Formats: sequence, C-alpha cells, structure tokens
Amino acid sequence: MRILWLSLLLLFSFPAISNAAPSMIQQDPGAELWNAVRDRDGADTGQIRSQVKGTDSTSLINRAGDEWRHFRMGQLIPVAAKLLGFTLLTILFFRLLRGKIPIRAGRSSQKIKRFTTFQRYVHWITAILFITLAITGSVLMFGRFIVIPYLGAELGGSLTFIMKRIHDFSGPAFAIALVVLVFTFIKGNFPKWVDIKWILKGGGLFGGHAPAGRYNAGEKGWYWLAAGVGMIVVVSGLVLDFTQVLELTGVGKTRENMIFAHWVHSISAVAIMAASLGHIYMGTIAMEGAFEAMQTGYCDANWAKEHHDIWYQEMADKDLLLDTHQAHTHSQEPHAKPTKATN
Amino acid sequence: MARMKFYCDAERCIECNACVTACKNEHEIPVGVNRRRVVTIKDGEPGERSLSVACMHCSDAPCAAVCPVDCFEITAEGIVLHNKDTCIGCGYCFYACPFGAPQFPTDGAFSSRGKMDKCTFCAGGPEEEDMSAAEHTKYGTNRIAEGKLPLCAEMCSTKALLAGDADMVADIYRKRVVNRGAAAFSQNRLQQKANFQPSPSLNGRATQESGVQQWKPDTAN
Repeated sequence: MRILWLSLLLLFSFPAISNAAPSMIQQDPGAELWNAVRDRDGADTGQIRSQVKGTDSTSLINRAGDEWRHFRMGQLIPVAAKLLGFTLLTILFFRLLRGKIPIRAGRSSQKIKRFTTFQRYVHWITAILFITLAITGSVLMFGRFIVIPYLGAELGGSLTFIMKRIHDFSGPAFAIALVVLVFTFIKGNFPKWVDIKWILKGGGLFGGHAPAGRYNAGEKGWYWLAAGVGMIVVVSGLVLDFTQVLELTGVGKTRENMIFAHWVHSISAVAIMAASLGHIYMGTIAMEGAFEAMQTGYCDANWAKEHHDIWYQEMADKDLLLDTHQAHTHSQEPHAKPTKATN
Repeated sequence: MARMKFYCDAERCIECNACVTACKNEHEIPVGVNRRRVVTIKDGEPGERSLSVACMHCSDAPCAAVCPVDCFEITAEGIVLHNKDTCIGCGYCFYACPFGAPQFPTDGAFSSRGKMDKCTFCAGGPEEEDMSAAEHTKYGTNRIAEGKLPLCAEMCSTKALLAGDADMVADIYRKRVVNRGAAAFSQNRLQQKANFQPSPSLNGRATQESGVQQWKPDTAN
C-alpha cells in the first residue's frame, strides 16, 4: 500500500521519470534553470553575494536589458530614421513649394547689428559641436545599417571607434558651450503676446506677414527647445560618459540606470536633431539675408523690416541703423564694438 | 553540428570560485575584468545556492543584436565570439546582456571603456589565427582549437559546471536529476530536503550509459 502511495506521489513529483521519457526534460537544462531564476526576479533570493566585485555582479538576470534591446532595435532606430527622414522631406517639400524666400523690397543701403561678436562665436562653437555630436551620434545609431555594410566591419568599426571617441570628448565641451549659449541668447527670447499672433499666422510660412520682435516665435521655440531638451541631452550624456557619477551621487552604478540614461539621451537627442534640421534650413538657405546675420553680425535693414518688424522699429527708433559701409568696416574689425559709438 | 552550452548545477556548486580563478589565470585577463563570476543567493540562509555565470552563448544573442558595429560572430558550434578590432567599447552589449557577461577594462582618459572582453568559451577570437600569439594576447587561450573544452568546466571540482555539446550536457544533467529524485524518494523526503546521496541498496540509479534505467520499488524500503 505504501509502495502504491509513494508511486502515486512519484507520478506527480517526477513526471519525467515516471514517463521514463528523456524528452520530457527540456533539451537545454540551462533554459529551464534561467527561466526559473528570471521568474523569481530576485524576490526570494535573500542575501545575494559574489566574490567578484563589479557593476551588477550580484545580479543574475538583467531584465531591463531585453526591454532596452527591443526598444533600441525595434523602436528607436526605425522611428528616428523615419522622423529625421520625414523632417528632411518636409523641408524639401517646403523648398519646392515656396522656393528661396527673398527680401521683397530688395537689399537696402542700411544694416542693423543683430549679434555681437561674442554671441556669434558662442553660436558657432555650439553649432560646430552640435553637428559633430549629431553626425557621430548618428553613426553610432545608424552605422550598422549605413556604414558597416559598405565599409565592412573592420574599417567601419575603426571609423565608428573614432566617431565614438569624438562623441565622448565633444560632449562635455558641448555641455559648457550650451550653458554659455543659453545665457548669451536669453535676452529677447522670453515669450510675448505677439508670439501667439505669429504662431496663428504660421510664421508667415504660408504667405502673409507675421509680426515678430527681435526673435520670432519659431526662433524662441528653438531657443527653449535647445535650452530645455539640450540640457536633458547634456545631462544624460554626461551620465553615460562618466558613469562614475552614478556611484558618487549614490544613484547606483547599475545597468538599469545607465540604460535609463540611454533612453533619455537617445530620445531627446533625436528630437533635438529633427528640430535642428528646421533651424539649420531656416538659418542658411531658406531665405535671403538670414545667414549673414550670424555670419557677420549684421543684417539687412529691409530683411529686418520684413521678418522682425517690431525689432526693426525699435532699432530705427533708437537710431541704430548703420549704412552698409559703416557696418562693413565694423565687421572687419570685430573688436571695434560698433554699438558703442551709436549708444 | 554540436551546440556548445554551459550549465551550472546549483545543487553542486560549492562557491569555491575556482572557475573564476582558473579563467583569469588561463586567459591572463586584466584586473577589473571578470569573464566568469559565482553568485550566491540566500547567502548564509537555508536553501543557499550558488551559480557560476559567464557568457551563455545565446542562440539569439542580445549583444550581437544591439552591437552598433556588428562585431559579433556566432560560430557553427553556437559560440558567440566578438572581434576586438571592430569593437568600439560603447557598452551596449553590456546593457543588453541578461547575464552581465560583457566586461570592459578601463582605457584611456577619464577611464572610459576599452574593448569589450567576455567569455569566449575558450575559443579565442574570430579574426586571429587559431592559437596564435596575437590571439592569446587579445582573447586568451584557444582551448577549443586544441580540442579541449573550457577550463572552468574541465577543472570544476564538483562537476557543477558543465560545458560542451548541449545534448551531452543535458544528458548528464538528466541523469543527475533522476538520481536525485530516486535519492529523495529513498529517503521519503521532498526533493528539496533530501541529501543527494543515494543509499547503496537503492535500485534505479541512472548508471547505465545506454540511458535512464526504470526505477523499481525496493521492497526493503
């Protein structure tokens, strides 16, 4: 009787044995073991210890990693490619639709000082670092699909290695540049009521005139995006660059935290890159007279009248319109501080 | 073709860390890099178990999936190898790996990550000539090319760590499970509480090479 009872017990306890079919045990016992470990998820493992001291060395299963893998390969890269591609297409479409926006009244004989030399230097240092980071970052993100298949893993790997190093070292420099930029351009970038009017008119993108002060709502939007999202990119990037920070601040140098920093960094970086395409287009080839403001510091008076009428009026009231010859001399000698004379 | 797998038997691992030490010594791994580690759960409590963990040489390797430079190469035996010439030290494989296998020596300014290093199943690297000096410097010994299995498993004193063809590892493990079940049964206890020493009189030990012997009730029991 006891034997019978025990045999029944055996049936339930060891189905694999009672069936005497080896195939009943999973082919890979490792999969079985690790599935069990994962199901426990550290809930009842008590004190975990390892003689090996390292990042997450006591963690048996890192579940965040798989989520991150699927996020990066299944969502981040395709969505980023689509977003950037769509933005480029929109710009191209807009270009074909509207063409280059000219200064309707033609160039005037007068110029207005729009940016100081310091502002221009800060802008261009930040811009060069931004573009460097955007290109190197894109290589890290899309390189496997656009670089490696053409150059091969050996050459592509070495190239990407250089890109990664440049990315790592430009990052902290960009952080400083961005902070300086935010303070340098803060004046005139606070939202005003007129900005709502500008937005309602679509910024004049579809014809018509949209009123604007020193900066229009689009520029202000870009400024605050660069300041806000840029700071998020910078902080998360510094965390990824200097993972020791996580340890020093007591957040914990775990993979979960690094992965989180990567989520934040990649999403916000893609967002700011897409937005920057619009800014770069508008600032360079979209309209006549826009690029020279950041190139020389002076803008054409008629350009200002057409795009920044309120600011133009202010400058005209203050009698800050310079004739072209004057502006040219000043721009040749950046240390001359042309505003001093007129102030 | 055989598929190479590791398996660590938690019932046998005694946390001696010899696999860790042997691996470090065999491959002359730099300080701070640990291709293998032993993790103990419920340390000092009843039910304490240890597991020796290294690269599991996954079939669907997350490291290979996320690598931005595609530096991984999975051999015909299912060994996941990585090319250190291509590796850029981004750490993505480390983020994605469930087992924490990828390791990074600190390298250069600001102690950034160097080239990734992980268990190669003692199979060296994909790009260097087998058993060459260059391969040894980069990846350690290529025991597979010598016709040997990974050292950690080969020298494991309790044979807790098994390495080799997945089918053979599974067979060995299956025999152990059968023996344990029989041992627990002979002691009339739950498997978790049994000591896995089968009584000498017990029939049904999976001793036959041909396969698992059917358990027969012992009338004396």
